[in-house]
Amino acid sequence: MSQFEPKIVAFVCNWCTYAGADLAGTSRAKYATNVRIIRFPCTGRIDFMLLIKAFQNGTDGIIISGCHPNDCHYTSGNFHARRRWMVFRSLIEFMGFDTDRITFSWVSAAEGAKWADLVNEVTDKVRALGPFTEFKNIDYNSFNQLDNGAITK
Amino acid sequence: MEQLQNKVAELFEKGTISMMIGFQNAIGKGAVPCFLDSASQVKLLIYNDLCKNNLAVYLHKPEVKEAKKIGIISNVATLRSILQLLSENQLWSLELTIMTFNSAHELIVFESIKDVEHYVQANFPELTDEEKELIEKINAMSRQERWEYWKDLYSTCIKCYACRAVCPMCYCPQCTVECNQPQWIKVTAETSGNMEWHTMRAMHLAGRCINCGECGRICPVGIPVHLLTAKMNLDIKKEFGAQTGFSSSNSYALNTYNPNDKEGFIR
Repeated sequence: MSQFEPKIVAFVCNWCTYAGADLAGTSRAKYATNVRIIRFPCTGRIDFMLLIKAFQNGTDGIIISGCHPNDCHYTSGNFHARRRWMVFRSLIEFMGFDTDRITFSWVSAAEGAKWADLVNEVTDKVRALGPFTEFKNIDYNSFNQLDNGAITK
Repeated sequence: MEQLQNKVAELFEKGTISMMIGFQNAIGKGAVPCFLDSASQVKLLIYNDLCKNNLAVYLHKPEVKEAKKIGIISNVATLRSILQLLSENQLWSLELTIMTFNSAHELIVFESIKDVEHYVQANFPELTDEEKELIEKINAMSRQERWEYWKDLYSTCIKCYACRAVCPMCYCPQCTVECNQPQWIKVTAETSGNMEWHTMRAMHLAGRCINCGECGRICPVGIPVHLLTAKMNLDIKKEFGAQTGFSSSNSYALNTYNPNDKEGFIR
């Protein structure tokens, strides 16, 4: 049986991490191909609903990354984002979400190597965790109870 | 009771208020909110332990905004809602006459918002023992158990949005659930969409919820939805030192920042 290849979505900021990922590419760093990068103007723009939607649509892991504190292109976007993540993370932890599948990081435009390491590390971690089925099966399970297994995943 | 009726009649006659939001008797149901617009109706007014609704939710209604000069009978939760709404600049068009009964059952008519602040700060409520116990119980579970616990509860949700209707802090003219391009929240009442809705509701109320517990009390299927925001309020107080409904000049914890915020999960 072939190895499980996780799907990972990376929400990154345009000014630091996207440029960092670009640097990783131009400097020919080799890293896992499991990551799909989505570019945002700023980490402050990353709505928590996007993370939930990503999980609902079948991603196995999420990376969120932006400029280091004090380096935000818009001065304070990442500070606001950090507060939001702190609150959001404690909420989903309270709700029993698997927080191991969401990785937050700061990667600057000069840290191409850190980006490559980050992606490799997250891919390994999520691969070890296995496919994220909790969220995907949530509705099928409730149907199964009703239909006595008539609808299977 | 008579004290309240006489006071309200006096306020109507003086022209201080043109609408009174209070409670009246309801057969079999205890007390329901009522809206008076003249002194002749004051005999309807009651106030007792059954008057639980948070009347601040009505302050957003267009009919109330139109009446402009509003009298409102409040408990501490309602007072906190009013302070929080004032700090969010939501009540600027109203002239409020705020009344409450203190613990000795005496009627207090507040002369200024400063007085309301002093009263709230002196009588600041804590979470009830029941809420604290439930939060501790959930915190003590393993992650899988927590997931199953909430999943089972969410699967019963019928998406009636009573928790939104009853919340004094949910006043957006267009809510994210009504947005269908993109469709953020599934319309049907299935577990995943219910979970999205409750997560979104809790996040949008984080640092704004004043713990009145109305959403949990009103839920027709008994989901303790107020626990999510109560838990977040505890975290926000611990992390950022912010408390909601404490003064009329509160700043919103998620709308501000401190460069020295400490977190242990970002690498």
